[in-house]
Amino acid sequence: MSKKALKVVVSIVVIAALIVSVFGLIQGNLTASASTKKTVKIKFLSNLPDRTSNQGKLEQMLIDSYMKANPNVKIEVEALQDEPYKQKFKVYVATNQMPDIFMVWGQPSFFLPVMKAGYAAEIKLDQIKGYGFKTSSLKDFMYNGKLYGLPRNTDFMVLYYNKGLFNKYKVKVPTTFNELLNAAKVFRKNGIAPIAINGKDKWILAILYQELVVKEGGDQKLIYDAISKKSVAKNQILLKAAKDLVNLVNVGGFQDAFVAADYGAANNLFAQEKAAMYYMGSWEVGMATNPNFSESFKKNVDVTYFPTITGGKGKKTDILAWHGGGYAVSASSKVKNEAMKLLLYMMHPTRWAKIGWQQGLVVPGQSWDKFMTGKETVLQKKLTQIFSSATSVSGTVWQDAFTPNFKTEAETLCQMLVAKAITPEKFLAKIEELAKLEVK
Amino acid sequence: MARESSFNKKSRIVLIIVLGLFSIGQLFPLVWLVDFSLCKSGDVYGANILKIPNPPQFINYYLAWRDGKIPQYFINSIIVNIVSVLLVVLFSLMMGYAFVRMEWKWSNKVLTYVLLGLMIPIHATLLPNFVIFRQLNMLDSYFALIIPYVAFSLPQAVFLMTGFIGSIPRALEESAIIDGCGIFRILFQIILPLSKPALVTVTVTTFLNTWNEFIMAATYLTSDKFRTLPFSVYNFAGQYASNYAVQFAVMTIVALPSLIVYIALNEQVTKGVTLGAVKG
Repeated sequence: MSKKALKVVVSIVVIAALIVSVFGLIQGNLTASASTKKTVKIKFLSNLPDRTSNQGKLEQMLIDSYMKANPNVKIEVEALQDEPYKQKFKVYVATNQMPDIFMVWGQPSFFLPVMKAGYAAEIKLDQIKGYGFKTSSLKDFMYNGKLYGLPRNTDFMVLYYNKGLFNKYKVKVPTTFNELLNAAKVFRKNGIAPIAINGKDKWILAILYQELVVKEGGDQKLIYDAISKKSVAKNQILLKAAKDLVNLVNVGGFQDAFVAADYGAANNLFAQEKAAMYYMGSWEVGMATNPNFSESFKKNVDVTYFPTITGGKGKKTDILAWHGGGYAVSASSKVKNEAMKLLLYMMHPTRWAKIGWQQGLVVPGQSWDKFMTGKETVLQKKLTQIFSSATSVSGTVWQDAFTPNFKTEAETLCQMLVAKAITPEKFLAKIEELAKLEVK
Repeated sequence: MARESSFNKKSRIVLIIVLGLFSIGQLFPLVWLVDFSLCKSGDVYGANILKIPNPPQFINYYLAWRDGKIPQYFINSIIVNIVSVLLVVLFSLMMGYAFVRMEWKWSNKVLTYVLLGLMIPIHATLLPNFVIFRQLNMLDSYFALIIPYVAFSLPQAVFLMTGFIGSIPRALEESAIIDGCGIFRILFQIILPLSKPALVTVTVTTFLNTWNEFIMAATYLTSDKFRTLPFSVYNFAGQYASNYAVQFAVMTIVALPSLIVYIALNEQVTKGVTLGAVKG
């Protein structure tokens, strides 16, 4: 009996070891046979793990069609969500094992160190002739006059609102900040959250603050200049904008406990028609067709400019717009040419821009007017109109325009401001201190 | 006497209420998980704590199964976990015996060294391990997970086993030796059956830790082939929007095996922990 037990233990261990080594062998064989056939293997690192909807679907579609057109190319996608993505990216950088093609955020706080260290391969400008990229959209993917990446999308901030709720409580869609404050008071009285916002995510608060600075000052450069010159604390426009933001909090402009609400919470609050407005970017264009939301919501969702401020110099058409995510090719890749071909294939205007727009998945980084079919949703049409009527755009938002550390600290300060842990004056003083430490 | 029993009754009621509240608190997340796994994704955040799914969205489970690649990841998880658990059980038993019963020069120092592993944070090891695995050409394989899983589970397992084996009367082994037992027979025929409670505890804790582990898997694996179950959840996370309801469905499916393991071995675990903790 006990001898049996011994045999069982030993045999289980042996079997387990065998299983593992067989799998190891299979794997080894696979890679060996692949290399003898001379197929090209491209490693693709993406931040879109969901391959069945939205941008992830588009990315996978283009990759599949590329492999179909080029049977000798095998593309291995590794897709991780944002935070694990950043972690893995660091590991790859530290061990000098960059994937052949990878996603980058076109912000100095992320991409500048990558370009500086020479991890990304240069893309010649005449390679993307006729691709429809505006020079301004490539600015943050360039270093020393050379281009190292291509942006996927155009991101810009707008105010989504629920037509049904505005009609029901007879509120005018706000075009000025005062109207916004008044609207907030009416919705509060009726138990509706005025603006849904994801305050836990912090970045949105920093962007909203910049929106107010632009609407107060009418100058897109103002906030960047103030920080570069480290003269923040005494700037009256920056102070006024900070006070506006606190004012909006004071009238109950955001949902209850908005500082603790994350992206999904804010989005769902709006989609369940429990909030009248939603301050978010153009990437929410898919809300109008999302099968998870009710028909009544999809009928009522609409979008407009962020209101102007009476007495402020900014126009409603001065918008915050930038190009966030994009792709770059590794400079040390062994299949650099193939990877570059893939990148140019994907970003060809008839692919990412056209297919993405017509399926309502993205607002492309290239001009998309020529791909309009007339079958667009209300959101798609209005977003196009808002963007094409822009009189000035911001480029990379202020917190992303400097170092990674600046971003973290500045965003935290914005959260402290709306949580009223610090006064507007103290907020500006702290930003100035931070600029002195982080910005050279 | 009568007063005492009425006091007992009262204290019993209080006890039942407290324990009742406690179990509601413990069970609620599970109910919540199952509840929202049947709702639409847009319903997850709302005023209601629980929501009656109308109609129940069983498609979430289908999507979880298909797009979450659960069958494939499940097999990977099973392989990695079973091998890791078996190795941890075997090694901790042998090491525990060696530290407690066998006399050798560095015994105490080596035990301290092994137990030091309890204090090492996983994140500090990610980069060096990545480099080592790459040089050994072991990235993206089952070994890349099994080896660190075993290494991280061993200190705790050895800690439990040394405590437990110490509580087994030496007389048993002495008589076995008189009967002509060798060291391996003592270990596998006498110590092994007697340490069942401790071994079950080691099995369960190792299983629960490795079953849910994500960060090491995310670092050491690059292709889809060897990914384990926690990746399924991330297959429904987008840059800005996530499909929450399907994520809930995935989590329900992923939680089931650990729940079953825990329910099946629950009694042994409690025994193993207490017996290991209080010596002799």
